[in-house]
Amino acid sequence: MIRLSTWAPSRPERVFRIGVGEAGLLPIMVSLLIAVLVIFEPRFATIQNAINILRNASFLMIVAVGQMLVMIVGGLDMSIGATMALTSVASVLVMTAVAGALPDAPNLAILTGITAGLGCGLAVGVINGLCVALMRVPPFMVTLGMASVVGGVALMLTSGVPVYGLPQSFINEVGRALWLGLPTAFYVALAIVVGLALGLRFTRPGVRTLAVGGNRQAAAVSGVPTGVYLLGAYVACSLLAAVASLLLTAQIGSGQGAIGDQLTLESIAAAVIAGVSLRGGAGRPELVALGAIFLLVLTNAMDLMQVDSKIQSIWLGVFVVLAVVLEALGRGVSRRG
Amino acid sequence: MISTLLVPALIVVMLLGFSLYVPRILFPRNLMNLIVQTSYLAVFATAQTLVLVTRGFDLSLGASVSMVSVIAALVMVTVAGGVGEPVVYAVVLGVIAALAAGALVGLFNGAVSAGFAVNPFIITLGSLNICYGIASTISGGRPVFNVPAAFSTVFYDGRVLDVPAPILIAGAACLGAHLLLDRTVLGRSLYLIGGNPRAAAVAGIPVRRRLIFAYVFASTLSALGSLLLTARTGSGEPALGGNLLLQSIAAAVIGGVSLRGGVGTVRHAILGALFITILSNGMNLSRVGGYVQEIVLGVCVVIAVFLDVLLSRQRSAG
Repeated sequence: MIRLSTWAPSRPERVFRIGVGEAGLLPIMVSLLIAVLVIFEPRFATIQNAINILRNASFLMIVAVGQMLVMIVGGLDMSIGATMALTSVASVLVMTAVAGALPDAPNLAILTGITAGLGCGLAVGVINGLCVALMRVPPFMVTLGMASVVGGVALMLTSGVPVYGLPQSFINEVGRALWLGLPTAFYVALAIVVGLALGLRFTRPGVRTLAVGGNRQAAAVSGVPTGVYLLGAYVACSLLAAVASLLLTAQIGSGQGAIGDQLTLESIAAAVIAGVSLRGGAGRPELVALGAIFLLVLTNAMDLMQVDSKIQSIWLGVFVVLAVVLEALGRGVSRRG
Repeated sequence: MISTLLVPALIVVMLLGFSLYVPRILFPRNLMNLIVQTSYLAVFATAQTLVLVTRGFDLSLGASVSMVSVIAALVMVTVAGGVGEPVVYAVVLGVIAALAAGALVGLFNGAVSAGFAVNPFIITLGSLNICYGIASTISGGRPVFNVPAAFSTVFYDGRVLDVPAPILIAGAACLGAHLLLDRTVLGRSLYLIGGNPRAAAVAGIPVRRRLIFAYVFASTLSALGSLLLTARTGSGEPALGGNLLLQSIAAAVIGGVSLRGGVGTVRHAILGALFITILSNGMNLSRVGGYVQEIVLGVCVVIAVFLDVLLSRQRSAG
């Protein structure tokens, strides 16, 4: 969106140099925060609390790495929350409809519901991606407009009321199941983050995605079908939002039009804290996941200290600004040195 | 930038189209209502435009409107509650506090994003959270009642030569912003900064200071808009700015302000505000549901962005 092509260096080669400096300040900040909490807040350092944080961080991790993919190609997806709302509502409506028609086949109902949810994500992603890739319109505005449209459709489908009647097995086996004490969502998030981290670094599509974001013209000249990669990033982002929404829906146990309200902005915050540039061309999934954990540890700590939820919002804002400023200062120092 | 005639033409077509279904839309009473409603949104769209032309963003607009509303109401209620204080003091102090709070938000946005050269998008995202938190904390999440009636008289009920106060105040604010952007070196330099920041720096423009000014001015303007809205509801509302962020950006973009910076005038903002106001007024009168209205607004935004791209491409080709 804010693009200074003359300033944007071509960065594809950068992904092969992995050093401490590249990781930025985030790992240090997370370690510091956790260290302080362990010392001063005994209730923080319990296994139950760690599981609690990881569970809540999973959903944010999934959508934040999706947001990161879009940011890598120089875009932004403001429609994540709305996509999650539509996915949640549509999948539950389909599941209850199929389960009502065929009461003996709950698995079929679940499968069609999940397919419908993912289909919603796919549709939003394709529209976003086509607008940006073919028409080259500013992604911020298109996705903001789409957020209004998609969110409106989700609310219209439900009249703004939660949809109940999910098959119980969907809630028990997907949403609230625990493996080794950790919920399904965590494993899904872990798989996605690891897969993307490896994929971006070691596969041709991954490296090309970074190249398209770093310098679209150079990538096009070197024979990369840039439009395909732009479209791919938006589709992947919306699909990830759909996945997160399905997992969250299964955990909550109902379809909600307000399911992703905070997640659009939080996903941007997590990505930016992790050093993903709004100019594109750079982004590391493992750091974005850490950014999500940072935000959730912060929230959790404030919950434990019984900080009022309204005041938490202030601190969240302060920390986002602080993280970005520190990151900027750090960059300036390393460039000068 | 959408060509100068397209939006006015669309506005006329839309008005006539709606009047086929609901003739009431063209009644003088409703037309006056349309202008009053437009004047509120025009202030916010103008504020957003000031920042957009510098290639910036103000995501905190809605939240700061809420915060300013609560602060203004709390100051007025507190001062008016003091024994023997004339109500004038309360109103004046409330207005000063509101504008100062707005200016502070702008100072924060501008100083941090320009000073550290970080993207204003993320800084204003941060201040959105901060403002929202402050608004809901100091108000306890509830509306602040007992705002002096004199305040509503000045900012809502009052009339001069039969023109309602909101139109006068919003009109003056927009005119001021227009003169500043169009007729002063300071204003013109904002366009250069938005169009080409490096060229602006090379040309000797103090880019940082000008950016800070743009943000302060924009946030002060939206604080003024917040006062107008507060006077309309008659209480300080912690959720006053709910939809204003989307609407202010939508109005600016539909009016023809470019998100790529360097292009956009106050006239564009006002036209966009008029467009959105007529659209929602028409849909309200035609009993279109709120959810459908949201969809329609989204579609309009997407179409406006498409047109912006098409037209700017045509211009650079021809």
